Amino acid sequence: MPGFNDVLSSLTTTFLDPSKRVFVGYLFLAAVIGALVWMAQGRSWRHYPRAVLSRRIWWSPSARADYQILVINQILFLFLAPWLLSHLTLATWLFEQLHRWIDTRPSVGLGWPDWSIPILFTLSLFLLDDFARFWIHRLMHRVPWLWAFHQVHHSARVLTPLTVLRTHPIEGVLFSLRSAVVNGVCIGGFVFFFDSRVDLVLVVGSNVFVFLFNLAGSNLRHTHCYLRYPAWLERWLISPAQHQVHHSAEPRHFDRNFGAVLAIWDRLYGSLLVSEPTAPKRFGVTRRRRPGEQKLVTLYGSPFLQAARVIRRWVSVRTTTIKQVNKEGRAHG
Amino acid sequence: MKLKHLIVATAVASLGSVSAASGDHYADFPVTLNGYDGDATTSVAYTGQMARHVLHNSLKKLAGSGTGDNADELLEQMLAYFEGGDSLDIIDPASKSGFAIKQSEVDAISTGKNLSGKAYGGYVTGWPGQMTGAEVLRFMIEKAAETEGGYDPVNGYNYAQLISKFAMGAVFYNQAVDNYLDERIEGDVKPNDKPYGEGDHYTGKEHVWDEGFGYFGAPAHALSLDAATAYSIAKQDPDVFDEADYNGDGVVDLVTEMTYAHAYYAANADKGGQSNYLNTIMQAFIDGRQLIADADGEKLSDDELDQLQGYADTIKSNWERVIAEAAFKYAGSVYSDAMALHEAVEEGDSVVDLMPTYVKHWGELKGFALSLQTGGKDLGSVGVQLDRLIGFGPVLLGSTQVTGIDGDGDYIQSESITLKEYALNMLEVQKLLSQNFHLVARSNDRLGNLESLSEQLESGANVEND
Repeated sequence: MPGFNDVLSSLTTTFLDPSKRVFVGYLFLAAVIGALVWMAQGRSWRHYPRAVLSRRIWWSPSARADYQILVINQILFLFLAPWLLSHLTLATWLFEQLHRWIDTRPSVGLGWPDWSIPILFTLSLFLLDDFARFWIHRLMHRVPWLWAFHQVHHSARVLTPLTVLRTHPIEGVLFSLRSAVVNGVCIGGFVFFFDSRVDLVLVVGSNVFVFLFNLAGSNLRHTHCYLRYPAWLERWLISPAQHQVHHSAEPRHFDRNFGAVLAIWDRLYGSLLVSEPTAPKRFGVTRRRRPGEQKLVTLYGSPFLQAARVIRRWVSVRTTTIKQVNKEGRAHG
Repeated sequence: MKLKHLIVATAVASLGSVSAASGDHYADFPVTLNGYDGDATTSVAYTGQMARHVLHNSLKKLAGSGTGDNADELLEQMLAYFEGGDSLDIIDPASKSGFAIKQSEVDAISTGKNLSGKAYGGYVTGWPGQMTGAEVLRFMIEKAAETEGGYDPVNGYNYAQLISKFAMGAVFYNQAVDNYLDERIEGDVKPNDKPYGEGDHYTGKEHVWDEGFGYFGAPAHALSLDAATAYSIAKQDPDVFDEADYNGDGVVDLVTEMTYAHAYYAANADKGGQSNYLNTIMQAFIDGRQLIADADGEKLSDDELDQLQGYADTIKSNWERVIAEAAFKYAGSVYSDAMALHEAVEEGDSVVDLMPTYVKHWGELKGFALSLQTGGKDLGSVGVQLDRLIGFGPVLLGSTQVTGIDGDGDYIQSESITLKEYALNMLEVQKLLSQNFHLVARSNDRLGNLESLSEQLESGANVEND
């Protein structure tokens, strides 16, 4: 049974582990990049700290909900973690299954340079992970009962780097499953074909591509720093501004820019929107604030009610349709 | 004042290093038996165990020496080493260029010793025929005598490997962990205030502990050797002769200066730098022996017995892991061999070179897996799974496997799984051993890359949103 020390250690790891998005080093870099953007907009650097550390943002009901969700989820997942599918289990299963599916175990890339397989593995893992993030994210927006849970993240009225952890536990479980599938498939598949030559290219314990993404100010996505990339680059990489557009409460911005790092997935599925010169006016699910929308009971409980309503409606429509079809069938018969 | 402190500190440090140096060596523990007035200067005695080590080494050599037409003669020879005989030559380890051995006859170490009388008396579930450990060894010896080079290509057995690996478990491991370090270290059995036997110059507990140590097979100065050197001594590598010859008399004494059996496999595992079995076991043996020596011939108190039990537990658990590490390593080899054989069959390539290697590795795996079940501890479902996954014999080219023995002692083969499925069984064996014996060396780990890559990636909870 996890205790207080485990919770404390889990919280500390969130900020001190370079493989985590909100690692203090990345937060500091985001602050530096934010300062450069601030000055590039012709504003004095003297006003920057006050703007960044504004109580209006960091102590808003939305931000306070972020903090509460962060702590509650850390505790909750300490209990849930042993029950989640691990990518090692999946990788081992796939590795063994590939023996059965493929007649003889091939030795691929025997003459390739030593560095090529780790690079290929790391790149494949990054691409598959980025696509899986896009695809699940898109599904979260398009499937009504999934949206019921994902809207907890979108209900943030102000964006702080900690909003990245504003996630309903049901969504957290799905994310863990996504990670297990992506990592398990990549590890199991690569080890089967390339054996012991597979390795991960790491920088301070993090996938080199993920590290670069975080180094480039990934945390600015959930801030009010409207950092745009040139339009041509926004067709390849999702800029912080594009992600802020994704969080916009304006209906014309809905269901756009699902991508995490690469914009190519949005281009393929027709959901890419390059950033506009001006930042979105407001963030959230609706334009108007709803009473109690930042309360924990609403954030944790209402998705279940909404999902239940959606499912009930779906069952009812199906039943009606089946009845109608049967009725018509009898009429024709 | 400062100078005075420095002198005192240096003196204390020097004393410490002197005592550490003498504590490195399993030798020279004094005679503590009350009332003893003979000439012996040390109570350490384990020559009987070392005689059994050379009997085992020699038996292994013989098991691999059959020509196919000398069965009766070879059987008689092997049984002499197994059941005991007079004036037996030491076939292995024997002197060779650059590595001179002190003794050339078993009797020069100890007389009247055998392996059969000390072999595991329990039922061996992993071998067909419902036999005891001693009966299994005798059965294997009889089979080995009929083969050429100990190799039975029809059923897939390498008897030199099977006999050697299983004998190490059924005799040395079983005697040490299920006898000497078990019931014999209890308070009322072989007490420390009485001689071990009438006329002996050592106490009951001193000799019980020495016998346990002897079966492990480490040189008395093993703590002053690194794992690679201890390993190379068993291989009689001339490059390590000076390290082996601890007393510098120009010959290696087979009682105190040679590496045998599981001490060799502990060193083999430790060479990779991931484990420290040899030192851990040696240190526990030396600490336990020092505790008995410090009792100065008096009966051990309850506290001392508890402490001794603690050392025994350390030895037993690490010894078990050494055997599991070896089984793990060979399961990895059998996986590779079975996959290579499968591929050769699919491609229509020759299997002439592949088959003996597969059978050899399987014999090593099976011998160690059987040994794990001779320590007096019920392995429960782990033992059952090991037996089922490995089987009574390796899966052969036609997807058959030995499944029993008929009334004449001939093997019965039945249809079984494919070679590829059998290779997958080996992955399961590695998982089973790794999880249940908490292995760390894990040489030849066929799933290791999966695990190390998985550790590098975040697993479990991940609530970062997009």
